[in-house]
Amino acid sequence: MKDLTNLSLLEQIDGLNSKEFSSVEITSSYIEKIEEQNKILNCFISLNENALEEAKKSDSKIAKNKANTMEGIPIAHKDIFCIKDQKTTCGSKMLENFISPYSSTVYEKLFNSGTVNLGKTNMDEFAMGSSNETSFYGNVLNPIDHERVPGGSSGGSAAAVAARLCSFATGTDTGGSIRQPAAFCGITGIKPTYGRVSRWGMIAFASSLDQGGIFANSALDAAIALENISGFDKKDSTSLNKKVPSFFNEASSTNKDHIVGIPRSIIENIKDSEVKNNFYDSVEILEKSGIKTKEIDLKNIEFSLPVYYVIAPAECSANLSRYDGVRFGHRCENPKNLEDLYARSRAEGFGEEVKKRILIGTYCLSAGYYDAYYIKAQKVRNLIKESFVNAFKEVSSVMMPTTANVSFKQNSIQDPVEMYEQDIYTIPANLAGLPAISIPSGKINNLPLGIQFIGNYLNEGNILNLSNLFQQNTNFHNE
Amino acid sequence: MKISEEVLNNISSLSKIKIDEDIKPKLIEDLESILLMVEKMNKIDTSKIEPMSHPLDEANNLREDIAMHEIKRDNYQKSAPQTEDGFYLTPKVIE
Amino acid sequence: MNKEWESVIGLEVHVQLSTESKIFSNAPTKFGQEQNSQASLVDLGLPGVLPVLNEKTIEMAIKFGCAIDAEISSKAIFARKNYFYPDLPKGYQISQLDDPIVGKGKINVEVDNEEREIGITRAHLEEDAGKSLHDKYEGFSAIDLNRAGTPLLEIVSEPDLRSAKEAVAYLKKIHSIITFLDISDGDMSQGSMRCDANVSIRKFGDKKLGNRTELKNINSFRFVEKAINHEINRQIELIENGTSIEQETRLYDANKNETRSMRSKEHANDYRYFPDPDLIPIKITNEKIQEIKESLPELPEQKIIRFMEDYEISNYESKNLNSSKELSHFFEIVADKVSSAELAAKWILGDLTAILNKNNLNIKDSKISSTDMIDLLKKIEEGSLSGPGAKKIIELSWSSEESIDDLIKKEGLDEIKGEDEIIKIIDEIIKNNSKQHEQYIQGKEKLFGFFVGQVMKETKGSADPKQVNELLSKKLKQ
Repeated sequence: MKDLTNLSLLEQIDGLNSKEFSSVEITSSYIEKIEEQNKILNCFISLNENALEEAKKSDSKIAKNKANTMEGIPIAHKDIFCIKDQKTTCGSKMLENFISPYSSTVYEKLFNSGTVNLGKTNMDEFAMGSSNETSFYGNVLNPIDHERVPGGSSGGSAAAVAARLCSFATGTDTGGSIRQPAAFCGITGIKPTYGRVSRWGMIAFASSLDQGGIFANSALDAAIALENISGFDKKDSTSLNKKVPSFFNEASSTNKDHIVGIPRSIIENIKDSEVKNNFYDSVEILEKSGIKTKEIDLKNIEFSLPVYYVIAPAECSANLSRYDGVRFGHRCENPKNLEDLYARSRAEGFGEEVKKRILIGTYCLSAGYYDAYYIKAQKVRNLIKESFVNAFKEVSSVMMPTTANVSFKQNSIQDPVEMYEQDIYTIPANLAGLPAISIPSGKINNLPLGIQFIGNYLNEGNILNLSNLFQQNTNFHNE
Repeated sequence: MKISEEVLNNISSLSKIKIDEDIKPKLIEDLESILLMVEKMNKIDTSKIEPMSHPLDEANNLREDIAMHEIKRDNYQKSAPQTEDGFYLTPKVIE
Repeated sequence: MNKEWESVIGLEVHVQLSTESKIFSNAPTKFGQEQNSQASLVDLGLPGVLPVLNEKTIEMAIKFGCAIDAEISSKAIFARKNYFYPDLPKGYQISQLDDPIVGKGKINVEVDNEEREIGITRAHLEEDAGKSLHDKYEGFSAIDLNRAGTPLLEIVSEPDLRSAKEAVAYLKKIHSIITFLDISDGDMSQGSMRCDANVSIRKFGDKKLGNRTELKNINSFRFVEKAINHEINRQIELIENGTSIEQETRLYDANKNETRSMRSKEHANDYRYFPDPDLIPIKITNEKIQEIKESLPELPEQKIIRFMEDYEISNYESKNLNSSKELSHFFEIVADKVSSAELAAKWILGDLTAILNKNNLNIKDSKISSTDMIDLLKKIEEGSLSGPGAKKIIELSWSSEESIDDLIKKEGLDEIKGEDEIIKIIDEIIKNNSKQHEQYIQGKEKLFGFFVGQVMKETKGSADPKQVNELLSKKLKQ
């Protein structure tokens, strides 16, 4: 029998609907693979014991011609999405025993579209990290090279999709947490426009930057999956009340009416010449397939990292105050008094990186520093958004590398700022709230690298289309 | 910006995170290096720029004033560290 | 009050808005329910939950703003106020700092027949916290989050108030505005209206404000006056003894009538406010404000004037009848159905109010309904029931399930005694009290009252006092 896990999402949907194979068969194939590989890769924090039950239900729906759009497709969820009556840890000791009493909108939408949940994937604690080394549940290994990191924070989802342990997976992206691991693991990852995907039930890191998205094996697969999680949600005030087009139709259309903006000064500053060469090679591939490119100037983008490391920590310092050992989550042993309960529960429940960011955020918001850090960062954020708004007057998308380097070895980066610099190319899209996708663009020393397309607001279809065009002309995404 | 131990103690107290003495020097070093990176943004003149808190301010979603009566206390308290008769318990607070 | 020292008082009044659901969640806002049975996922601050603003709260805040002639902000921004406390589930309170929904406004208050304008700095929307019970379990505090997320309008006054009495008058005025607008039940005993007072003192003539203390936990009109007066005296005493006033938060203890320093609040003063990224600023259009302005119900000040004109009652009566929305409503119903509105005012403010006060009840809980009142007043107007008779019925019906008519019959008050009958009774009484009659004739006119009393007793109050007076004075002189 052929390996069902190697099929694309589109092929799996077709195969299931034509009853070439069943959801139980495809689910079992993934479960077998997970049992074998998760011991090594550690990409799942918990597995769904009911996966096969769900698959059976899907099969009976297919049999009765009552199949939903992705009926019977086995997927994985980043452990940041709450699922009712299931453990949701967010990669933290703080939520080691937290059983969510409700489900996130993303999970419900995917459940309603018929998917089978295989389990919840490992991640950097509270989505803070770029290497999946901050998880309380251990490092995730990069399936391509086990000595290396899969990227973060959605490292478990990226590794699971890359190792074909699920058809596609959900992720979240606050500063690059979908795109950077997608690049490191050689897969496709998309973060839509801020507000496109509901944040209800998606545990908050930095609310004005967080956005749910998808890891998949191709732009077309990503388009199908993204379509199913997008849409207005009245439970999220920042959710956009905008119609969701068929991303699949937009991605697969033959329209080549693109003008891709190339921010020359940013590209020229890439330190790693192989990364730079890979980028220019990718531009050439696009141009050869008939896509127009145009040099643009993205002013102030170099300040994205400083701005991000004020705003994200500031928001997280408040978002994570609810973990106080009172209503849920870790509580220290024998608290002497209330102050002791707070201080020790939080010191024990949070890992070092999370604490560092809470402290930085608290500092930036505290009396005397608020204007110099927080307000300043908000103003620069406005300038960065403006740069993109101006660019989109001339171009239909902006192309940048996803990362400045290929995946690095576990424990090789100790300096916090060096780790933060992992996200210099991905952060700008989060600050501006723009949709962005990373797709494989080749390999350096056998390690994958990605390029990134940033689209205009609500124009996910455009960057998916561009990515699909690129993938039609290359085979990097199948290597 | 230099972070004194006093400032560190203040933010530790505000954020209710206990910091062990032995990790303080390294922590201060890390925080200072992050702030040093952050302060690069001071190069830009922003005197005429409005601060921006939301990437998109189009959404303006409000709720109708309708009460739902689906409160499942027992279910919500399943993961609670300590409850009694439906109350959450904490060490006694002295006001 | 001390002649040397002037007190400077500003009030922060927290008003619970009477919405069906909470400000950021769809949990019900009912009071007095079983612990944590009204707290939704959002109110509990569970991981991943998000706030969505209740549109009614915006409308209610604008209503209040219009009523105090305030500027309404064109956008309302919500901010997070960060501090840790067990009854604050998220570790921050969603409140407003910049761009409060209601800006500067003013209200007039009257103390000792003197009217003064009191400035209102701002009024903003925020969520209420839960409740901590410190004495329920030995060694523990028990947290009930039913109240968490209840919408509050915090109304902040300028430091324009100069006495505890003025503070009470201000508070009563706020109470009447919010109840007339129907945006809150204003029930202080249930915490629907709570008050913090900023109190400082200075020498008369001084421009500079002294160090102020913030009094928390004042939850009745009576305690406001007591707590503030107590605090003023404490400050005067301290300063006169050469001690300076510490800027601090103090808790009023109604049982001991004293204030004490709140240690728990001392360190929590760097709130690190910042705009809540979960809530987009709410745009408020001029059309919206106009629409609300036009639909504003009649406010007490307007109603006082209208009552005086329409019902020809005195300013004093009109003010008292408009001290609460329910009372003014009760009066209107009654006054429209009887021929003398003045009589209605007299009875409602007199005997009815007296019995309500005696039983510590509000007009809305009155056992005499407006229909009962109309009944009684009509009978008085027709002459089929005497004043004392009506008074008696009001008292009796308070503790009886029987109808007004049944009570009147039962007490034999249904028939006013005829003149002949009264004369007969008077003759009998004069005969039995010949000694007093003798003294009366000799000039002891005070005894007239004694005879009136005797007659009324004998007629069980069913005689018309005016008639009794006339007949008695005639008979006694014979």
